[in-house]
Amino acid sequence: MTNIVLSQSARQGRRQTHVARYVIPIVALGFLIILATAIGSSWIGPDRVIAALVGQGTATDHIIIWTLRLPRVALAILSGAALALAGLLLQTVVRNSIASPSVLGIVDGAAVGVVLFLWLCSNENNALTVSVHWLPLAATCGAAVFAFSVAFLAKGDIAQPARLILYGIACAALAKALVTVLVILGPVYRSSQALIWLAGSVHTAHWQDAAILATVLFCALLTILALCPACEQMALDHETASATGLSVTQSKAAALALSVILTAAAVSFAGGIAFVGLIVPNLARALLGASFKRRAVLVPILGAAMVLGADILARVIAFPLELPTGSITAIIGAPYFLFLLMQKIKHGQT
Amino acid sequence: MIVASLHIGLRVYTPEEVWRALVANDGSSEALIISGLRLPRTLAALFVGAALGVSGLLMQGVLRNPLAEPGLLGVNAGASFAVVFAFAVLGVSGFLALSIYALMGASAVMAVIFALVATARGALTPVSLVLAGVTIAAFVSSLTQVLIVTDEGTMEALLFWLAGGFADRGGVILWSVGPLLIMGMLVAALFSRELDVMVTGDETSRALGIDTVRLRLFVFGLSSSLAGLSVVIAGPVGFIGLVAPHIARLMGGQSHAQLLPRTALCGASIALVADISARRIVMPQEVPVTATLALIGAPVLIGLVRTSRLRATA
Repeated sequence: MTNIVLSQSARQGRRQTHVARYVIPIVALGFLIILATAIGSSWIGPDRVIAALVGQGTATDHIIIWTLRLPRVALAILSGAALALAGLLLQTVVRNSIASPSVLGIVDGAAVGVVLFLWLCSNENNALTVSVHWLPLAATCGAAVFAFSVAFLAKGDIAQPARLILYGIACAALAKALVTVLVILGPVYRSSQALIWLAGSVHTAHWQDAAILATVLFCALLTILALCPACEQMALDHETASATGLSVTQSKAAALALSVILTAAAVSFAGGIAFVGLIVPNLARALLGASFKRRAVLVPILGAAMVLGADILARVIAFPLELPTGSITAIIGAPYFLFLLMQKIKHGQT
Repeated sequence: MIVASLHIGLRVYTPEEVWRALVANDGSSEALIISGLRLPRTLAALFVGAALGVSGLLMQGVLRNPLAEPGLLGVNAGASFAVVFAFAVLGVSGFLALSIYALMGASAVMAVIFALVATARGALTPVSLVLAGVTIAAFVSSLTQVLIVTDEGTMEALLFWLAGGFADRGGVILWSVGPLLIMGMLVAALFSRELDVMVTGDETSRALGIDTVRLRLFVFGLSSSLAGLSVVIAGPVGFIGLVAPHIARLMGGQSHAQLLPRTALCGASIALVADISARRIVMPQEVPVTATLALIGAPVLIGLVRTSRLRATA
């Protein structure tokens, strides 16, 4: 009896620490949002930011914050959340915590889709002949083609994630080369636009972009909710997972497709922001353990915070110049990933 | 050996093809263009291709990892970061000084890789090493990107060089670095027997009275110098170091005495082929040679993974 009581109180205590582990990132994200809104060509104090956010404050502040700064903040948050979720799904599907959309060539595949779209769908006057809203679809197609070619190449070796990753690296190199060739082949104006976009940046944000990305993210979250039990099973090995009566192959395909769509959506608005999908799921694992459900809640928050934080740094470090957000995430993410890799090797899990 | 001679045939043949393509392109075969622009370009491709190929072969030997390559391991990225850093922050502009910085950058990345291998104590699979290398490369090239964005002058001066290529490389650079590269390759050839022993394993080499640690450090230094100097000429050019040694291995004899010259020849001809196709794919514009090399190299990497018995599990 006392044992049960003890374990219950222990469980309660654990739940409290878990709650703290959700609350702290949320508070940090809120803090970053206010900071990101405050920083710009003119500093707007946090009090004025909050006043404008809740609908008070001066009209100028209101306009600057709502039409200039918040779209960018929203895009950073949404693309960070999408990339991080895509990474979590991918790592669950291939059962390997060092896989990520960029390592498997999905990000570069999306870039091929975007550049091809800009090239094919613009006329002599460098104007787009179709609506720019098709851009995410083009990115998704490119990402899907490369994701499936990696999956196809690795088909016989699906038990060997090592080969999967090597195929991914090769396909990513191939996609990068294709992008370079396409940028040179394409019309000059579109090329320069593509180059800006390729560096990965959220500085040309509009509410419209944020709205599309938010819709994709919302639908993805609903699907993930439905996939949750299946994803928990995927962490087990293939036989055990099949034995639980789930159709593993189908849910794997669904999770993979979702990961591709999320990556492509984020990439088509924010460009190639690296390492978010790779390290955020691992960070969440370090905080909350391996449970998919818990991580699925925390991962979007952490991803959003990471991209937003990187965007703030990108604006502040070389003010008034802006650095590409993607290079900041790489500079932060790469050392952490190397550390993870070495830890994995030390524990003999390679 | 028949295959090898066939290959030498290919190498001799390639410059001829360049020559013919040139004559057809220019219409009037102006000797000035050919000797002033095209010849240095061809020579640069030859030197750099051979040096990167040998550098890749040495790395593969010393790490006993068939996927080791200056591009994939981030050594090229390290060298180019060092050059950009020296140019932008320290204001170094002398060409020889820049070469020294390139060497330091390449060696620094190589040292990090060496440290990783040493800490893992043989547990590092080829894939993990490549992943680590790709990560280091991403890290270092992000730093380069930051430097370039913050300093517009640097960007204008170095962007062309950073894209990688063999065109318009100054004759001075070529005549001073080229001999160094040839010297490096000759030194590698002198040590070919030690390299053979090293590939078989540390115990064997020790039994044969070879100081393994010193040899390893020496080979590391040599391969990163070759990579670093190539970067000074051509910017970061990838995949030659991966592809050339493997083609050389496919052609028979596995001893380094045979592999080294063959790798050098393969590297040189791959660089030439890539450079020619870079010029011809989208005439009159040019594709960066790095892109054509990736188009050639990535399928080779895929084929390598498919066919080789990589003892790779990650």
